Amino acid sequence: MARTRYVRKLKELRQNVMDMGALTSQSVQDVLTALETSDAALAERVIANDDVIDNFDRKIEAQCMSLLALEQPMAKDLRIIATSLKMITDLERIGDFVVDIAEEVVTMAKPIRIPVSATKFNELVTEVKSMVADSIETYAEGNVQKARRFEGRDDRIDFLYKHIVENMVKALAQGQCSTETVADVASLLYIIRYLERIADHAVNIGNRVCYMEEGDRRYLK
Amino acid sequence: MNNAIEISVKNLNLWFGKFQALKNVSIDIQKNQVTALIGPSGCGKSTFIKTLDRMNDLVDNVKTTGEVLYQGTNILDSDTDVVELRKQIGMVFQKPNPFPKSIFDNVAYGPKVHGVRKKHNLNEVVERSLKAAALWEEVKDRLNESALRLSGGQQQRLCIARLLAVEPEVLLMDEPASALDPIATSKIEDLIYELKKDYTIIIVTHNMQQAARVATNTAFFYLGELVEYAPTIDLFERPRDKRTEDYVTGKFG
Repeated sequence: MARTRYVRKLKELRQNVMDMGALTSQSVQDVLTALETSDAALAERVIANDDVIDNFDRKIEAQCMSLLALEQPMAKDLRIIATSLKMITDLERIGDFVVDIAEEVVTMAKPIRIPVSATKFNELVTEVKSMVADSIETYAEGNVQKARRFEGRDDRIDFLYKHIVENMVKALAQGQCSTETVADVASLLYIIRYLERIADHAVNIGNRVCYMEEGDRRYLK
Repeated sequence: MNNAIEISVKNLNLWFGKFQALKNVSIDIQKNQVTALIGPSGCGKSTFIKTLDRMNDLVDNVKTTGEVLYQGTNILDSDTDVVELRKQIGMVFQKPNPFPKSIFDNVAYGPKVHGVRKKHNLNEVVERSLKAAALWEEVKDRLNESALRLSGGQQQRLCIARLLAVEPEVLLMDEPASALDPIATSKIEDLIYELKKDYTIIIVTHNMQQAARVATNTAFFYLGELVEYAPTIDLFERPRDKRTEDYVTGKFG
C-alpha cells in the first residue's frame, strides 16, 4: 500500500470524527437523562462538555484543510474529507442544541409538570437519541442501508413534534395549566423544537454518509 | 455541451513485436473538448496518442488492428496521407523542441512547407498563431531573435503556435507542461482552456491535478487497457473501477 502516511492521516481524521460523534451522542443521552430525572447538576456538566465538542470541531476542520491543501485527495478519500468537514458542523450544531436543552432543564421546576400524555413525548426523546447514535454508526460503518432509513424516521419525528405542540397549545388554550406549569410548558415547547432540529442534523449526516459511500451528489440536496 | 465526436476509436490493439501495448481500446473523443489521458508509466497512454497521428509508424515491428475513425476514414488504413494527417492532427511534446531558427521562422515553417510564400501572408499567420498561443505580446518586438533564447514555457507556447500555424483540427499534447515551472505550467493550462474553443485537444499527463483542471473528460489507462473513461469530475470524485480509485487516490502498488 502506497502513501502510508497519508492513509494514516485519513484514518486519524475518521477516528476523530467518530470520537466527536460519540461525545456528541453521549451529550444528547445525558441531557435527556437530565430532563427525565430533573438533574440540574448533570445538565450543567453537559453544558461544560460543549467546549470539548467545539474543540473537536476546530481540530477536525484544521485536519481536513491540511489534507485538502497538502495531499490533493481524490475519489472516496475526497468524499470522506468533504463529508467529515460538513458532518462536524452538524455535530457541532447538535452540541449547541444540547446546551440549549440543558439550559432549559436548569431553569425548569423539579419535577417537571406537563399537561399532556407522556407517551408521544417519550417516543420523541427515545427516537432522537437513537437517530443521533445511529448517524455516527452509519459514518463509522459506511452503512448506506441504515443511512437511507433516516428520511423515513424523520417523518415520524416531524409527526410527533407537530402532535405534541398541538396538544400543548390546546392544553394552554383550554386553561389546563396552572401558573407554575405554564413556564415548564414553554420550556418544553423549546425543547421539542430543539429535538426536532437535532433529528434534522442526524438526517443530514445520514445523507452525507450515502454521498461518502456512493458519490451521488443528489444526497447533498 | 458540444457532444459531437471528433475521433472514434474502435477495438484498437497495438503490438510492439510480441508485446501488446494497447488492448482493445474503444473511445470517442469529443470535438472542441479537452480529453486527458492518465495512467502509470507504461500504461499505453502515450502509445495511444501517437497512434492518432500515426507516429508509431516510426517504430519498427509495430502491428495495429482496429479502427481510428477521423473525418469518416480509418486513419490506420495504409493509403492514409500521413503528412496531411499530421497537419490536421498535430502533436506537442514533453520537452519544447523549437527549431534553431528565429521565432518568426519557427512559426512560418509549417505554412511555408505547405506552400504559403507571400511575406504578408506569412506575417499574418505568424501573428495570428502567436496570438492564439498567448505569446505574441511577449515576443512581438523580437521575432527575429533565436527561438532558443526563449524561456522553457515560452518555447512550449512557440511550439503550440508552430502547430496552430498549419491550422490543425486536433492538438495532441504529450506531457506538455511536465518540464515547466508552475507559472509557465499555468500559462499552458490557461492556453489549453482557450484553445478548446477552436480545437479538439487530447493531453497525456502524469499530473492528475492538471487533468482535473483542464480536461472535460478523462480516460484512465492501465496495462494497455482503457479502464475507465468519464467526465473528469466523475472520474476524480466517484470513479467506478477499483483500479481507477486506487490510482487517483495514489494507493497503487
